[in-house]
Amino acid sequence: MNTRIETADPVLCPRDARTGEPSLPTREPGYYPGFSTLSQSSFWDEATRTVVNQRVATPSSMKFFNAQEWTFWTAVFDHLIPQTDRAADRRIPIIAPLDQRLYLNQTVGYRYEDMPHDRDVYKTFGIEAINQEARHRYGGEFLLLPHLHQDMILRAIHDRRPEAAKDIWKKMSVHRFWQLVMGDAIDAYYAHPWAWDEIGFGGPAYPRAYTRLERGEPEPWEVEEQRYDWLAPTSSISDEVESTAHLHTEADQSRYTHRRSK
Amino acid sequence: MKQPILGAFEAPPPGKHMLGTLQQIHLPMRRFRDYEVVDYVIVGVGSAGGVLLQRLARAGFNVVGLEAGPFWDTERDWVSDEAGSHELYWEDPRVTGGTDPLALGANNCGKGVGGGSVHWAAFTPRLHPSDFEVYTRDGVGADWPITYSDIQPYYEQLELEMPVAGPAYYPWGHPHGYAYGPHPMGGVGNALIKGCTALNIPISIGGPVAILSGSHGDRPHCIYRGFCIQGCKVGAKASTLITHVPDALIKGAEIRDECMVSRVELGKHGRITGVQYFDNQGEAHFQKAKAVILSGYAIETPRLLLNSACPGFENGLANSSNTLGRYLMAQAGNVVMGRFEQPVRMYKAPPAHALTEEFYETNSKNDFARGFAIQTVGPLPIAFGKQVLAAKSAWGWGLRREMMDYNHWAAFGLLGEILPWANNRVTLSDEKDRFGLPVAHVTFSLHDNDKKLIKTAKEQTMEVMHAAGATEVVQEARYAHLVGACRMGSDPRTSVVDRFGRTHDIINLFVCDGSILPTQGAANPGLTIQALAARTADYLISQGDRIFSNDDRDMTAPPVRRELAPPETWGKGAPRFKL
Repeated sequence: MNTRIETADPVLCPRDARTGEPSLPTREPGYYPGFSTLSQSSFWDEATRTVVNQRVATPSSMKFFNAQEWTFWTAVFDHLIPQTDRAADRRIPIIAPLDQRLYLNQTVGYRYEDMPHDRDVYKTFGIEAINQEARHRYGGEFLLLPHLHQDMILRAIHDRRPEAAKDIWKKMSVHRFWQLVMGDAIDAYYAHPWAWDEIGFGGPAYPRAYTRLERGEPEPWEVEEQRYDWLAPTSSISDEVESTAHLHTEADQSRYTHRRSK
Repeated sequence: MKQPILGAFEAPPPGKHMLGTLQQIHLPMRRFRDYEVVDYVIVGVGSAGGVLLQRLARAGFNVVGLEAGPFWDTERDWVSDEAGSHELYWEDPRVTGGTDPLALGANNCGKGVGGGSVHWAAFTPRLHPSDFEVYTRDGVGADWPITYSDIQPYYEQLELEMPVAGPAYYPWGHPHGYAYGPHPMGGVGNALIKGCTALNIPISIGGPVAILSGSHGDRPHCIYRGFCIQGCKVGAKASTLITHVPDALIKGAEIRDECMVSRVELGKHGRITGVQYFDNQGEAHFQKAKAVILSGYAIETPRLLLNSACPGFENGLANSSNTLGRYLMAQAGNVVMGRFEQPVRMYKAPPAHALTEEFYETNSKNDFARGFAIQTVGPLPIAFGKQVLAAKSAWGWGLRREMMDYNHWAAFGLLGEILPWANNRVTLSDEKDRFGLPVAHVTFSLHDNDKKLIKTAKEQTMEVMHAAGATEVVQEARYAHLVGACRMGSDPRTSVVDRFGRTHDIINLFVCDGSILPTQGAANPGLTIQALAARTADYLISQGDRIFSNDDRDMTAPPVRRELAPPETWGKGAPRFKL
């Protein structure tokens, strides 16, 4: 079940913007070198410290997914929230907390009427839809395709323009599906203190308090930003964003079809 | 390491139930038996339920609060962590749909003692006088069966009981001031000040927000840690858990936590006899009561009444009007994000700390009725990540890159009035929860006036963000708060409860929570919900035992009983302005 790239394949690594050369994975990507929220954990209250330490320490265990499903979604999340800039022992688990959530049948507290239950999305509908798109476009299962083709398939869903699996997309909103899996990726990644270090988020501050509220000043224990330019890997097409400034309602957002120049 | 003055780096000793850093609750509390006929059962100990429980207990009634969620110990149960705070939200199954389906859960539904007031951002603007006569003024929505002057003394009172920090002079609606001083500005507030000032838009700085800017009784002031909506461990942000529940328990109220009420029982004489509920072991009980107050908020209260259908009320208890579950409202809550060259670090300071209501009222220059407010919000990383996902369609490396700029963004929320529509409603789904009870199905669709208002509000908010100096401005469409679905009115044919919250159909059944609001204005509903609860409590107390035996409906307004407030709020004053 080890399709995940554990070594630094240069094609999959982000590049230095000046040289265009792939950068080696590091312990701490981001613009706040040396910043560590965990180093401050003795200043947190005990309940918070326990929750965050458990998150960092807990080894992954497979309870909801079977091995094939685990491998499949691991590969998908490697595109949705790529981590090839992180050293192998500093990658943030995505599939493990998702497995735990689905095993406990925890949800956000509501299901959209145009969506199946979360468990069914991850167990059957999602895998089948992505694989049908893969066979339709490239004649093979998603897992067996080159990285760039996998990116293309996921972007088609991101763009709400999948071409295959019409019967599945009738029962499952493309937009909601994307929001669900991306939401799970964000939930896992940005819950982790290593991600807080990466983005310069100060993290828990009770009972110590934040005292420098204005002008974006760091606390004495925070770190000043040190920006650098970087490029996405050559093999990836996910480094594009656009603005939905013209959309007024959430429904407009969900009906919106992307127009891209590419 | 030295212990800090506030809070502790280590857990508090066993046997102490902590509410905030300094406040302890004294257990054991009074326990009523199922076979005892208590005076009042309150279903849901949240914003309204907490205030009702405190007032009724202090007035000497036997009162039990049944709460579906836990009775929090804030030191042990709450964390400074987004992902670790899901238990604060109502995350039992529900179905959401319509053309503009509402996100529920963490977005607008609390669970546990304190309810939504545990995870609100604690903005506490009042409604404006115009909100009580929307139909008369604009020909849309509905009029309330009460006026601003009916609720004004309760606004003043609850602003002291929370208490609210804010400016000495607040210019919108009925001008007033606040007893506690405004908070210092964080980066988002500074951006809102800058943007509004550049456009000549007046702004309220440092409140109104129910977060302590000065220490109050056994509650320390805010330490600006930013995790307001994950529950305030400091005890600086008001929730009924810390403002009203302790006094209620001292005065002999009981809270039975982790008890899910499944049915309100109608007796053969047309009066409610009590409620069925499941305890935390899943065992069924029946608590007898002389009167019942439902305070389960805008989804669970109508759901419970629909699930309590019985002969004579086949379409749901107290639903002879066929308006139960209808006229559900959320406010437009589009989040506008601006990127600044200089770091903002919006996670510091409360998300709620500055706003403008300059666009609140109907304006003849607009092509829609009613208006909106613009407020600060301060999303933490996970929430911000989802906003970037929605607003910029970011994923993969694009998402990673945007998120690395987290500290450069500020976020404003617009708060737009959406009108009450009959088909925006709560019904029962075919799905069942773990107790076997049909879950709520929420249907929500925007109408023409709503869409026009959102378009203008969004553009105005983006203009303010640009004027603040943002180099990039994007937005995410979303909704905030929930009210309506058991609305109050004078006409029993078009409303569920009367102006004191008593159901038109059943003389000893009351509803008191956000669901009774006929319209919602462009103000966060928390203060109004608590003010209405204090008013309903005064009514019940002034009626005394007549509620339990008399079949007449006395509509005399009660006197304001300030002496029933929690003791530490006595003797303070709020600045009033002569108009």
